[in-house]
Amino acid sequence: MPTRGFADRFGAAWEAVRQFMYGLTGHEFARHAVEMRHEMEAVFMVVTMGDLIGVPVLPPIYSLRLLPYVVPEIATWKRHMVRRKEFWEKEEYDMHGV
Amino acid sequence: MNTLVAVILGVIVVYLAYTQYARRIDRSIIQSDPKRATPATLYMDGVDFMPTNRNILFGYHFKSIAAAGPIIGAIVAAHLWGWLPALIWLVLGVSFIGWASDYSGIVISVRNEGNSLSATAHRLVSPRTRTILFVFIFFYLLLVAGAFVGIMATVLESQPRVQLGVIMLTAMGLLLGQMLYRWRTGLVGATVLTVGITLLAILTGPWTGDIFKAFNAGVNGLTANAPLVTYFDPTLAGFKGAEAKIMPSLLLWALGIAAFCYAGSVLPIWRMAQPVIYVGFWITAMAMVLGLGGAVLAPFVKPEVATFVIPAWKGWNAQLGPSGIMPLWPMLFVTIACGAISGWHALFGAVGTARQIENEADMLPVGGGSMFTEFLLGLLALLAVSVGSKGAPVGAFANGLGGFISVWGVPLQYAVSLAFAAFIVIVLVVTQLLFRVMKVTLTEWLGDVIPPMRNQHVASLISVALALLLMMTGTWIYLWQLFGGANQMMAALALLLVTVWLASVGKNWLYAGLPMIFMYITTAASILVTAYNIYYNVYQPNLAAGRTIPIVGSGLMVLVAILLVVAAAFIGYDGFRAFRKYLRQPAAAPKAAPARG
Repeated sequence: MPTRGFADRFGAAWEAVRQFMYGLTGHEFARHAVEMRHEMEAVFMVVTMGDLIGVPVLPPIYSLRLLPYVVPEIATWKRHMVRRKEFWEKEEYDMHGV
Repeated sequence: MNTLVAVILGVIVVYLAYTQYARRIDRSIIQSDPKRATPATLYMDGVDFMPTNRNILFGYHFKSIAAAGPIIGAIVAAHLWGWLPALIWLVLGVSFIGWASDYSGIVISVRNEGNSLSATAHRLVSPRTRTILFVFIFFYLLLVAGAFVGIMATVLESQPRVQLGVIMLTAMGLLLGQMLYRWRTGLVGATVLTVGITLLAILTGPWTGDIFKAFNAGVNGLTANAPLVTYFDPTLAGFKGAEAKIMPSLLLWALGIAAFCYAGSVLPIWRMAQPVIYVGFWITAMAMVLGLGGAVLAPFVKPEVATFVIPAWKGWNAQLGPSGIMPLWPMLFVTIACGAISGWHALFGAVGTARQIENEADMLPVGGGSMFTEFLLGLLALLAVSVGSKGAPVGAFANGLGGFISVWGVPLQYAVSLAFAAFIVIVLVVTQLLFRVMKVTLTEWLGDVIPPMRNQHVASLISVALALLLMMTGTWIYLWQLFGGANQMMAALALLLVTVWLASVGKNWLYAGLPMIFMYITTAASILVTAYNIYYNVYQPNLAAGRTIPIVGSGLMVLVAILLVVAAAFIGYDGFRAFRKYLRQPAAAPKAAPARG
């Protein structure tokens, strides 16, 4: 098995440091941006597909037209909804530790 | 002893404990398996459950757990018992207990569907444990908040050179949130602008200090320099005790901090809490990195700032106040909090980090690795306070850290300003987050019984008001030790949960169980000692003098201490029963159920 040269080792170490710095700085913002988008999507899903979890919403014809676009999100959305006491609750992701 | 020797010693300990002990536990007991699916991969939703690279997660987890704890604890302990016992506990604590608690918090969550500790306690121990845990967590956070508000108000009032920096930190944090989330500016540019301006404001401290000093004097002039509250503080006059006064300027800064924390609690997290923490992180990181590098170089470049000047040993029972007791056991073990072991780490790691673990092989480098890195932060604080003996504990720390930073050619007065600011900033940003968590905990605990508690303004105001009341006792060292006891007790409870879980799956539980027993007994004893000290050193003298506010504040502290011990006793009893049950008959593997935070 060929041994890694100095350049490879240095490259790997540099990459690890870069990732560590990203974890220290940008990762939290990236996560929060994703959480904000997810909250918006959850509202959209409740308004359009709420009947999937028992919330009376738009006439089914519009839901059906939107259905192909939201199919990939349905499983995730339902999982999030069942974690909430009420479907309109807003999640405090950072507070899950308590 | 000089700083270089201590740093080398610290690095060797970290290396040996990680490679010779932690890895062995990970391999032989937990048997982390890179091929086993983690909750992040099983339930990946791109939001909460998200497989993340181990290096990124290491940085993220370290930033989330590194706060004021390792710094303040080391400062206070070195002043009470000397630097040697503080150094020994830091080393032994992190090697045998601290990493185990942090790492196990992540492990138990990863192996239990990504559930939080309270949810796992609900399943493994008993339903009431979850509720008691909420009570425990709320009062534990209240103690931290009270201690931090008191420390910050005192330092801010007495150090006018840091006031502009703190004001600019708040303004720049708000600007950063706006830039990132509304104007969609790039992170690098926004960081350079906001951190740069904050740093500039901090470094101008020596010039702007006089303006704020005049401002404080003007505020105090409103009452003709008469104090608002007078109380007996056993930590004054070289820990012999003396009369202390709360001046209008101190109250004003305390109210300013309270308003800051209230805003951080009720505003959306992206608007204030998160960006302020981010800007503060850079300031503190800058001071710490320069300080650690300076501590290594100082023996060669500037030996006068690298020699330990406080005694290595001050005795078994430090004198604090006229009639208090401060025995090394159990008090040292709770005074030095997060640098050796912390309950907060396990709480956070169980959810914030565990739900992002991509591979079980990452659990140790992320959980254990972050704790060992935090130990280095505690070591730096200990070094700084050990070489900079001027003034009170916080002043000594800032002078010591300023000395290390000055090794890089920064004039000493600016370096000390940066060190003071770094201290204030790290405490301030943590405190606003504390109130946010207190709000959520109060709502979870009492929201169903008292519906107004569900209102975030009500929950936040109650939390802030209680913290201010605690602050009015003036004895922040007791508050700190009470917090330390609660925090370490939280770690003991996390280890208790891990022990129960290990028994439930038929694994060897000793690596978590033995530290748990030691920490459980030590922390319970420390809380009772602190309650005794508060009663005899604060409550009694102020009662004799007929001072209402300190009486109420110290009385509340004693009640909280008793409540914490009772709550811990309940959890311990339930945990022991569950442990015995699982020893007789290990539980079946948990059913696949959705994680509930």
